[in-house]
Amino acid sequence: MMSDLDPNEQTEAYLTLLNENERKLAVYVHALVPDFADAEDILQACRLTMWKKFATFKPGTSFPAWGKKIALNQILNYRRSAKRKPLHTMDPEFIESVAKEIDRQSESLSQRSEALQECLGKLPENQRQTVVLRYYDNCGIDEIARTTGRTEGAVYRLLSRIRASLNECISARTRSSA
Amino acid sequence: MHFSPNPFLRMKIQEQIDLSLEGKLSAADQAALEAELLSEPELMASYVRQRWLHAELLTDRTLLSSLDEQVRTRPEKSTASWIALAAALVLSGFSILALTRANHARFEPVATLIEAENCRWEGSDLPTREGAQLGVGTLALAEGMATIRFDSGATVTLEAPTVLQVDSAMRCRLIEGSVVADVPDSAHGFTIDTEKMEVIDLGTRFGVTSTPVGGSHVFVFDGEVKVRENDKEEARHILSGNSLHLGALPQTADQEIIQRPPVQSAHSDWLSVSTAFGRGKDAYIRRTDSSGKTGDDPLLMVKHTDLAAGNERRALLTFDLSRIAREQMQAAKLTLMMESSGLGFSSLVPDSTFAVYAAIHPSIHAWGESNLTWEGSPHLTTDIPEETNFVRLAGFTIPKGSANTLIEVTSDELSRFLLSSADGLVTLMLVRETGEFDKQGLVHAFASKEHPSGPAPTLWFQPIPRP
Repeated sequence: MMSDLDPNEQTEAYLTLLNENERKLAVYVHALVPDFADAEDILQACRLTMWKKFATFKPGTSFPAWGKKIALNQILNYRRSAKRKPLHTMDPEFIESVAKEIDRQSESLSQRSEALQECLGKLPENQRQTVVLRYYDNCGIDEIARTTGRTEGAVYRLLSRIRASLNECISARTRSSA
Repeated sequence: MHFSPNPFLRMKIQEQIDLSLEGKLSAADQAALEAELLSEPELMASYVRQRWLHAELLTDRTLLSSLDEQVRTRPEKSTASWIALAAALVLSGFSILALTRANHARFEPVATLIEAENCRWEGSDLPTREGAQLGVGTLALAEGMATIRFDSGATVTLEAPTVLQVDSAMRCRLIEGSVVADVPDSAHGFTIDTEKMEVIDLGTRFGVTSTPVGGSHVFVFDGEVKVRENDKEEARHILSGNSLHLGALPQTADQEIIQRPPVQSAHSDWLSVSTAFGRGKDAYIRRTDSSGKTGDDPLLMVKHTDLAAGNERRALLTFDLSRIAREQMQAAKLTLMMESSGLGFSSLVPDSTFAVYAAIHPSIHAWGESNLTWEGSPHLTTDIPEETNFVRLAGFTIPKGSANTLIEVTSDELSRFLLSSADGLVTLMLVRETGEFDKQGLVHAFASKEHPSGPAPTLWFQPIPRP
């Protein structure tokens, strides 16, 4: 138990573990929460809850697995309490099924993360530009459509194709290294 | 029974997934999608990989910041980074001039995209905004028509679906599709390469098409071009009003066929029967019969024209429905996959309408893929199919410049006919009802059961749900 450590050591251990795993946790939460701002709120709440409960974390067990469990609870609570934003809601039962599927694919998903950088580099220039507009500049589809002179439908299809070719490239890479 | 997965449904689901990633799906559609995913483990697995990738891209700033530097070409940013870069280089003793030159060489424009209306682009590495300056690179037009003006003065109009590689102000390469070139005196010698040949302009307006399963075709509207076949020394001259076709069906050799997204076992209760099943067959007939036997062709060609009657083409599809319990079905439809014929130009036809007729005389089912001819089939070739032999069930429209997509033909009449017909075989005839503005108008084509990648014509049946 972390409660065996003195408070300073606890803080340091927590910050180290959080730092190592924060990105994984962020991807997990964003994968389960469609709205970007909601996901960020939930992540913030997660960091707090994890810190409050850190005394119950058993050293030597998996911190990300522990964190994911807390995050999933936060997401489900958030979903149940917040009946706003009907466009972004997913059914709690569905969220749990997606979370289960993420767990099932967990190992291959983390391998896939490593291949992503290389595959991004292989995209043709206009596709890379679209990725930057959508994911780095955080532009909406309508905004991307305006800047690039496409219809919104075309932007959806383009992003869909980009994700499909990234996923194909990632699959090929993780297969060959396996 | 051949239960093929339904690519149409698969596409629809992907569209819903794309919208849901952006949180733009209505509550009802979201619920429907969730139900679909919960019932299809394979689809769920793919959905999770897409969500995961989406989330990674959303959250990883470092991953994208390196990408951002590579692509940042928008003026406001690039000027700033330019100044910073230049300043850094001056400090480190580099010559700005050398850098400017290197940069210039890389992005030298050789053409301008002067018209791009109702266009949908894909996989292009050149900008696709109207007015954009184009360097060396590739344009892939999926839908619509677009015109580029090369700096030499030549203009080339792309008719979707077309992939064109811009090589220089005097040269381009038609990877696939159709283009019409207008070449002024200033650009004599302007050249279009295809997989099969090199077309060199000698002052003209001419069109070139090239398809993975149709070879290359050049038609001279006006003036003269010189055509050199690959690996041949001598060139042929083609004069106004003449054409040349190279390459036979269906040698796809080293040309890549554009891949459609892989078909997964999408959740669907519809049963399908293609022309490839059982006693099914498909072919087309051409008035002059100059295309020979078409039963083994990968393409079903359809054309209507009053300008060159010999080019009239109709397709015939027979389906073996002996294994479909039609009394247990409640609806039916037909799907056809559009393909490029490589013949004719879509700028020379209007939005085209087609009719689907069904044979009501059982003797018509007996046609054979190896002996079907226009000449020998008077009952198939009347101007308007006779009421004693055929009934018109449905119509559909293909707008000019349409992308090659899966066409879904539905109508109450079609559904009723397919469900009530007592025959084990159903024969449909596909006729184009609209004509063309010029003899070189587009020939429409659909994948036949012999097509290497496109799905064959298929009938779909929806069972009555069991209580």
